[in-house]
Amino acid sequence: MTLSESAMLPLDARPRSIRIRLAVTVVAYGAVALVVCLLAPLVGSTSISLARAFDRSIPFADNVDAQIFFVARMPRVLAGAVVGAALASAGVVLQALLRNPLATPFTLGVSAGAALGAMLAISFGAAMTLGPLSPVPLASLTGAFVATAVVYALATRPGRPMSTSVLLLAGVTLNSFFSALILFVQYMADFTETYRTVRWLMGDLDVGGFGPIAGVGPLLAVGFGVFAMLPSSLNQLSVGADIAATRGVDVARTERLAFFSAALATSAAVALAGPIGFIGIVVPHLVRLMTGVDHRLVLPASALFGAAFLVGCDLVARTILAPVEMPVGIVTAMVGAPFFLWLLVRKA
Amino acid sequence: MAAREKSLILVAALSVLIACGTNPGGPAPQTDDIVARRIVSLVPALTEMLFAIGAGPQVIAVSSYDDYPPETKALPRVGALMDPDVERILALRPDLVLTYGSQGSLEAQLASAGIRTFSYRHGGIRTIFETMRDLGAATGHTASALSKVTELEAQLEGVKAKVRDRARPRTLLVFGRQPGSLQQLYVSGGTGFLHEMLEAAGGINVFADIARESVQPSQETLITRAPEVILEVSPTRQISAMDAAQERAVWSPLASVPAVKRGRIYFLYGDYLVVPGPRVGLATETFARALHPDAFQ
Amino acid sequence: MFIQVKQVSFAYNVPFRNLADVRIGRDDYGFSLPALSLDIERGSLTGILGPNGCGKTTLLRLMAGVLRPQHGAITIDGDAVDRIPRRQLGRRLAIVPQETHPAFDYTVLEMVLMGRHPHLGTFQLEGPNDYAIAAEALTATGAAHLAARSYATLSGGEKQRVVIASALAQQPDVLLLDEPTASLDLAYQLEVSSLLTRLNRNRGCTMVLATHDLNLAASLCDRLVLMRAGKILAHGATTDVLTEASINQLYDVEADVQFHEAAGHLTVVPIRRAL
Repeated sequence: MTLSESAMLPLDARPRSIRIRLAVTVVAYGAVALVVCLLAPLVGSTSISLARAFDRSIPFADNVDAQIFFVARMPRVLAGAVVGAALASAGVVLQALLRNPLATPFTLGVSAGAALGAMLAISFGAAMTLGPLSPVPLASLTGAFVATAVVYALATRPGRPMSTSVLLLAGVTLNSFFSALILFVQYMADFTETYRTVRWLMGDLDVGGFGPIAGVGPLLAVGFGVFAMLPSSLNQLSVGADIAATRGVDVARTERLAFFSAALATSAAVALAGPIGFIGIVVPHLVRLMTGVDHRLVLPASALFGAAFLVGCDLVARTILAPVEMPVGIVTAMVGAPFFLWLLVRKA
Repeated sequence: MAAREKSLILVAALSVLIACGTNPGGPAPQTDDIVARRIVSLVPALTEMLFAIGAGPQVIAVSSYDDYPPETKALPRVGALMDPDVERILALRPDLVLTYGSQGSLEAQLASAGIRTFSYRHGGIRTIFETMRDLGAATGHTASALSKVTELEAQLEGVKAKVRDRARPRTLLVFGRQPGSLQQLYVSGGTGFLHEMLEAAGGINVFADIARESVQPSQETLITRAPEVILEVSPTRQISAMDAAQERAVWSPLASVPAVKRGRIYFLYGDYLVVPGPRVGLATETFARALHPDAFQ
Repeated sequence: MFIQVKQVSFAYNVPFRNLADVRIGRDDYGFSLPALSLDIERGSLTGILGPNGCGKTTLLRLMAGVLRPQHGAITIDGDAVDRIPRRQLGRRLAIVPQETHPAFDYTVLEMVLMGRHPHLGTFQLEGPNDYAIAAEALTATGAAHLAARSYATLSGGEKQRVVIASALAQQPDVLLLDEPTASLDLAYQLEVSSLLTRLNRNRGCTMVLATHDLNLAASLCDRLVLMRAGKILAHGATTDVLTEASINQLYDVEADVQFHEAAGHLTVVPIRRAL
């Protein structure tokens, strides 16, 4: 049995220690992610010579192969990796927070707020920038933060724990409300702007350099940093709030951290590449099928697998109809939806 | 007078009365010989054409997006592609309405009210000329339409002549991108009036092989196609000299692209650049001046 | 005195006002528990008996530190519950809720291992010692053969045993149980009952259990606290407290209380509603 297969044994086997399982899981998923991310820049609509790309004797600005590899493809693969990791992990965290395996990073209205921000920027030609963040990602972040704040305010009262059911309802309501606003903005805007907004909603990993990634980098770093602290508490929380509290988990604090970190990571991912769906739900489910439900395994595994998954989908999106590119959100949906149907059939 | 003669006169009188009773300003009968006197235009390009051929006074209402020539600003607005205000249009009692080809249901509604419609045709420069001639015929300005078309053809020939013997640079014609980034780039493909203007202005479209009007290339494709000149066309946003440097900097990651290396990135401003109408000659000349500045000293 | 509840008042939905002008005893906020006092002895198996809504679960959650009283304090072995750092508290007491429905499909072993959380550092993973303690807890509850099973597929009685095992894995001094046999079949009721008795005797684990089941209380508990509408009606040894008069006062029911030879403890047979 190979290393990666043994990590994916169902738990019917004799229970192996969590330490071993964590090590095996990280190594196995890490290997997959690494392989996908290393292979992806090699493939594309234009064939390039790797030897030429790494040939130092040609000045960088003249070396077309190097330009394609380092300037066009690498940022794209990096963006795919971080966005995939962010959305997959945010999905895991939100599913634990809401005690519901069907929750997605977009359930709580964050992406609707982001989309509204982006729509307004595109339709009204916003020009404000902040460091490496260009107007549309900046507006998208703003919209996402506003949505997060509204949902949080609705679901919490001082001194009382967060009501997850109110959280869910607030998120769903905000999604509908913002979607209506988005349609309104699209209708009022100029015809060409409307098409641009529609295109933004399909997702785009071709971010045009490392700058945009650096722009949302700090947010992602904070998000991932908080994620790293959560798994053990999420395990306890998902069994029951009272039990978790009496085992030393600060329930209110854990819920707040989970909510804000997931919102932050989702905001950053959507600001960078638009709302790319299905990653936040397909990846965690696949990982749980293969690795069990312990969040200490599921969270890192989902991050790594999410990265590999999105980079893989983008690879398909940019090569399958070359030279025309398919929006990556369409590929993730076309992979994700059948997978879900299969899951449902399997469970029934 | 005999009874028979009396009834004949009665019938004749009644016929005249009936003929007079029909509202003279009402819907015109469906023949092409009738000159349109009350025109509603939903298409800015067609509005421009009407004014250019001298039919301006016959225009009674325009679309929400019309602002050229300045006379249109005073005219009532009746919506546009997505939201034509049928009630308003009918209330104005036009005899000709200029519509988009996709507004099928609007055209059907107007037809049932007996109102003639003229559908905008999408196409290249030739289509512009054809449309102008047809509009001339419909509005009773056949002669001036013909002369205007001749004038435009001459203008275009003039531009072509000026750039004829010069090397034609490989050009990327950008008409949309996200501000401050290279995401969501919209460039001209190998068909349509933008492409034809570019070719007439002495440039070679790097995407001439793609038979579409609009292409959204990836960064990789841009590097591969390596244009020598980048023309950024914006109908709404004028780039000041200060901003130009900043906007050029947005292209700088694509260092191997000749246009970026030599700084041949030009920002062209004006709605006449993207409207396939009578100012197409001026637009082509603008392109030519950017591509071959020394030809216009 | 091991656990002391001192003049504790608690209300669920306190509106935002200055609490200083609230005097204990006033029912303005609808205190679930107005000024309650109670002592639990070390090693005892105390039952908190009363009708639904009398505040048993609230009291249990207050003892566990899940809820904070507006007034008063609860101490364990002299230390105030709300001052003890959370993880330390988890090493001293454990709670077994009435029902446990995890949101994800954990195995039995994973559930029990989660009880080790208070003994682990923030990023520490369970080691061989933790696995041994978990195995031991499973054995003690007679659930060792279920270790690899998915928790969600177990029967009610099995689930309860697993949750008790996970509580035992915390190695607590105090075990708080909320209606531990409420949704169980008769056989499982007896099973869990005898398990708890065994644990109390063999491990000297102080247990407090909330129940409305008179006969369970009679069979299991050596001390009883009778509660009604947030107030304590009686407190003491089961044989002293569980009388026909007290049952009438508690439930408005006339009942017959007898010592049952075969069972070895008091039994209660309700006769009719009191007038």
